[in-house]
Amino acid sequence: MSEKDIFIDYLARVEGETAIKINIKGNKPQELKLNIFEPPRFFEGFLVGRKYYEVPDIVSRICGICPVSHMTTALRAIEKAMGINPSQQTRILRRLMALSQMVSSHLIHLYMLAMPDYHGYSGAQEMLPEFAEELSRLMRMKKVMNDLTAAIGGRASHPVSAVVNGFTDLPSSQELERRQRDLEKIETDAVKTVRMVSEFSIPDFCRKTEYVALKAANRYAMIEGNIVSSAGLEIPEQDYDKYFEEQEVSYSMAKRARVKDRNSLMVGALARLNLKFDQLPPSVKKLAKEVGFKLPDYNPFHNNLAQSLEIFYGIQECRQILENLKLSLENNNYRVRAGEGAAFSEAPRGLLYHRYTINARGVIEKANIVTPTVHNFANIEEDLHHLVIQNSDLPTAKIALLCEMLVRAYDPCFSCSVH
Amino acid sequence: MKKNRLAIFKYSCCAGCQFQLFFFQEHVLETLAAVDIVYCKMGASGGVKEGPFEVALIEGAITESWQIDELKRVREVSHFLIPIGSCAVNGGIPAIKDIYPEMEVEKRVYQDLSVIHSVKAHPIDDYVRVDGYVRGCPMGERDLLELLTSLLLNTKPSFPEYCVCVECKLAGTICLLMSEGKPCMGPVTNAGCGALCPSHARACYGCWGPAPNVNAPALAKKFEQLGLSPDDIVRKFTQFASPKIEFRKGAEMYE
Repeated sequence: MSEKDIFIDYLARVEGETAIKINIKGNKPQELKLNIFEPPRFFEGFLVGRKYYEVPDIVSRICGICPVSHMTTALRAIEKAMGINPSQQTRILRRLMALSQMVSSHLIHLYMLAMPDYHGYSGAQEMLPEFAEELSRLMRMKKVMNDLTAAIGGRASHPVSAVVNGFTDLPSSQELERRQRDLEKIETDAVKTVRMVSEFSIPDFCRKTEYVALKAANRYAMIEGNIVSSAGLEIPEQDYDKYFEEQEVSYSMAKRARVKDRNSLMVGALARLNLKFDQLPPSVKKLAKEVGFKLPDYNPFHNNLAQSLEIFYGIQECRQILENLKLSLENNNYRVRAGEGAAFSEAPRGLLYHRYTINARGVIEKANIVTPTVHNFANIEEDLHHLVIQNSDLPTAKIALLCEMLVRAYDPCFSCSVH
Repeated sequence: MKKNRLAIFKYSCCAGCQFQLFFFQEHVLETLAAVDIVYCKMGASGGVKEGPFEVALIEGAITESWQIDELKRVREVSHFLIPIGSCAVNGGIPAIKDIYPEMEVEKRVYQDLSVIHSVKAHPIDDYVRVDGYVRGCPMGERDLLELLTSLLLNTKPSFPEYCVCVECKLAGTICLLMSEGKPCMGPVTNAGCGALCPSHARACYGCWGPAPNVNAPALAKKFEQLGLSPDDIVRKFTQFASPKIEFRKGAEMYE
């Protein structure tokens, strides 16, 4: 029986450090490991003993690409623990920040991390000058989205003005108008992005799995909602621990999360589109149809296409929110109380969970965080397994590249995963 | 013209500084035209890990021994070695765990500690000589631009080495510490952010780490007068730069 060994000592163009080890005998993988060797970071350990108001600033540093998600999820978990109900204005501003960050994150993933694969390059620098136009488009869009996040949070990466029960400072109406005008300018860029991604020669691979996302009745949920899945799960956010479990993995610093007694699951852009496509505006649906995106979509490589559609959606939704936005300074006072609170958000890469127990002095007694890549971990390995079987006739180097591309398509964040 | 060879190494951190480099706004494309990024795992596959490099940028704190081995090797083959961002410069957020017994922190996260090989978090200059610091969390765009420009012009980069208060005064921002009694870390924190938090009506929380020769004990006493508990004062000085002596001096009085 023929034997092949695949060993990718580090996976490039992803956030954080991981290796892939696969041993194939005949057409079957005998051993298959996503070896996440990123050093563990112990946030859940050292948050214990810190004050509740430090938590959003600290957890924002779990991730340099989705700091807004960690920050907002922590803020909401803390507010729930202390019985605080933030205003409608605060909730809208948080949604704007979440959407703008999602677009930025997807942009970087598509243009700089995923795209080189589809044109046979090692990275974005090599793509110059051939793809100079595309990369300038990326920079143009990225700047508009960063400026929007910064207008609300004070800084695009690790925002500063978002605090418990509100914001310390609000953008001026002139600033909001400028951001709105900028968004208008990149709408055609967004359409071009969707078309560009739809032309990638995406590997033909399908494997049905359980898709999980946050869903709300009246909008494409980013921050508040219930957890729903394609296999019929529908639970409120505080019940997460009853249905999900996390397990340590001997060869990886990241844990794996699953729904108890079920197989692996997938979160992220493709899961969101599979579960909430109906809630997108007609313009996004029309573009999706034009580029051949059909539901349900079981090809994990299509996560890239789903991301591009979310870019188009995110820009439109931000514009719409800004159109009707009138801000006024609010009273953000609250009382520190003991309690336990759990919250979810849709980070760019999928479902993110934070839970805190806080004592009467406002000191954290227990912290639990489950990131999108921890949710996807088992599913990535399952997909790799089937991808290898399907392509076992190919030369080893080709199989290795396909495996790399698959992991990248999930847009994993290994730094987050070992938080 | 021969391009400068630049490499980026990541240790324990959020990768936000590398992303800052990628998102370097309007300067990205001109930077790529001027500098050859020969090793950057997050940006490109392959690459020349062995060097030599004109500049090695180091992101993240040291929390495992293999990182020390690699770092020393990178030092040997790099003309300039520059830590970027608070984790690499000051230990940053990863070093919060340094104030607790390591095993207590680890046990709260993992049951099986046999596969955990962490050590206390250290800044880069605890292990190798460095040629400057690009501070910030994430690293400041102005300082990064200064570094890359100096590299091209072959001049010595000039980084601000004074506290946030100077930037507040220049911007005409009202002092939150003196006039509003907010526990602001501005008097001990290195400038470069443009006094970002105070300009958003929020007390500085020290994310750039200490400026040289600051008087942390005096600020700690001020915090006590404002009514902060000893524990709260210790937390102030251990959030972003717990290994740094300048901040340790503020925390030690109340531990």
